[in-house]
Amino acid sequence: MTNDIWAVADIEGGKLKSISLQLASKAAQLAAALGGQSAAVALGKGAQEAAAALGATGVNAVLVSDDAVYDAYLAQPATDVLAQLIQQRQPKAVLLPATVTGRDVAGRLAARLGLGVEYNVTAADVADGEIAMVVPAFGGQLNVNATFAGDGTRLIVARQNAFAITKTGSGATTETIPAPAAPANGAKVSGPFGTEGATEEGHMTTVNGHPQYVPPPSRSNVEEAAIIVSGGRGVGGPEGFADLDALAKALGGAVGSSRPVTDDEWLPHHHHIGQTGRTVKPELYIACGISGAVQHQAGMQTSKYIIAINKDKDAPIFTFCDLGVVGDLKVVIPELTKLVEDYKASH
Amino acid sequence: MHAPSPPAFPQIWRNPTLKIVVCMKETPSTEVPKSLGADMRLVRNPSDTIINPFDEYTIEEGLRQQEKLGGDVIILTMGPGTTNDPMRRALAMGATSGVLVSDPALAGSDAVATGRVLAAALKKLEADLVLFGQSSADAYGGIVPSITAEFMGMPLLSYATKVEVAGNNVTIEREAEVGYTTATAPLPALVSVAKAINNNPRYPSMKGIMTAKKKPIETWTLADLGLDAAQVGAGAAKERVTGATPVSTQRRREIYNGSAGAAQRIFEFLVENKII
Repeated sequence: MTNDIWAVADIEGGKLKSISLQLASKAAQLAAALGGQSAAVALGKGAQEAAAALGATGVNAVLVSDDAVYDAYLAQPATDVLAQLIQQRQPKAVLLPATVTGRDVAGRLAARLGLGVEYNVTAADVADGEIAMVVPAFGGQLNVNATFAGDGTRLIVARQNAFAITKTGSGATTETIPAPAAPANGAKVSGPFGTEGATEEGHMTTVNGHPQYVPPPSRSNVEEAAIIVSGGRGVGGPEGFADLDALAKALGGAVGSSRPVTDDEWLPHHHHIGQTGRTVKPELYIACGISGAVQHQAGMQTSKYIIAINKDKDAPIFTFCDLGVVGDLKVVIPELTKLVEDYKASH
Repeated sequence: MHAPSPPAFPQIWRNPTLKIVVCMKETPSTEVPKSLGADMRLVRNPSDTIINPFDEYTIEEGLRQQEKLGGDVIILTMGPGTTNDPMRRALAMGATSGVLVSDPALAGSDAVATGRVLAAALKKLEADLVLFGQSSADAYGGIVPSITAEFMGMPLLSYATKVEVAGNNVTIEREAEVGYTTATAPLPALVSVAKAINNNPRYPSMKGIMTAKKKPIETWTLADLGLDAAQVGAGAAKERVTGATPVSTQRRREIYNGSAGAAQRIFEFLVENKII
């Protein structure tokens, strides 16, 4: 086995996601500490275009293939090419994104090649020539320290925002890698569908007979947002999210929610933050009308700053916020939006 | 039995021999504080064991598919088997029968070993459609479905918000950043069901609870699956836990009372901390 570290990029709809740069940065850093080489692997539509950004993180090489097979089938072609490359080149570790596809590829690689796999990793560093990791457990109540034993490439499935992006690179080589044949019994992908209704403004719609507020795509990706304005039952209904969306727009952030909100279809499900939804780590998290159950806390407690607004002075959220307002959202949020808009207009 | 070829127009296609298997995990109740023992494994209290909350959506989906397509819903679980409460509850929801894989050698199994065992059991069951939850609510790996699929050499349609079987194919929808995508694979296949399917898992009825007591639960050991103890358990795991620390949630906790002036205070906080 070499001391090389690889990062597998996450590309969705031809767009390189920020977690790819985070993983590539960490791969460069770990490989340097171990005295090995680092590489980023980009597969599918947009891979060629992603090579420059991946190279800028400091990796030594970018391996690319923009063959159509990667977007035509779920997980299997990516597994086939990575399994072959891992066997030929024996990297010490491969970092993969904790996305649906990243987990599916990691699971298949672990089973096919008999490799160890650690998932939900939030920190990784070199200690005594081995990779030492931190993995949150039991809804974030504990941080578990983990490492690997024995031989074989280590598979590390890391969470969004676990690693910082470095921009130290120049002169990464680009290597085009071959594409595998289409899998015989593969899961064939079509779409996306239902994109006609997508607009750059939030709007009301109906889902399963329930009214729903749909924030625009630019304010829908909670995992990549630096600022999140999040709402709970205290928002009162789907219409109430228009105010939160306006604040998110003013701040340049995204709209999030607690679980009851998406269970009742007030917002689409990918806005749900918490133990059973997305895990986020923004600069600022504004919790509006969210009581702060442990399940919600698990998804947002590593935010840099937490501001809570709630009518109930006994809400648990006030025990883990930096600034708490015992007050009425319907008054505070529009006023705050105006203050932020005016400030940004004059700065 | 694997599904036979579909009729020419499989609008409503019922197959009495269809085998839908729902893989269920028994997890500790999410309400109870957790700790690790000296062996770095979770301290388990059998009386706090529940159906993994994500798997309730999966059981519901299995029952809905059975109502449309016919066949049986079999619950497959791997665990110590100290209590059958979660299994009985799944049967009370309407599942046909249960299989528990339990063997002392399984203690400390990692995700790869778990997938290996489930794949062996699913092969023995000759499952046509295998349903998983999106992840467990204790480990949050979401990785066992793909490990199992790889050991079975079968397609996995992951993170489904809609599942439709037509003829010999299964098609799912999955939320995309904008809109949704679909994926189709031939049966037999594995599907992991996203919580976002939001299918209102049913509560067991009184009648369901009574009939569940008589439904068969088989217990299989490693030997029944033709697996060797060296392939599973703590000894086969390539991951090691070296320690654990509680997470501190200490914060400033400045409290501002009342709506008047609150927006101004938040605004100042944002400026003070260079957030805007």
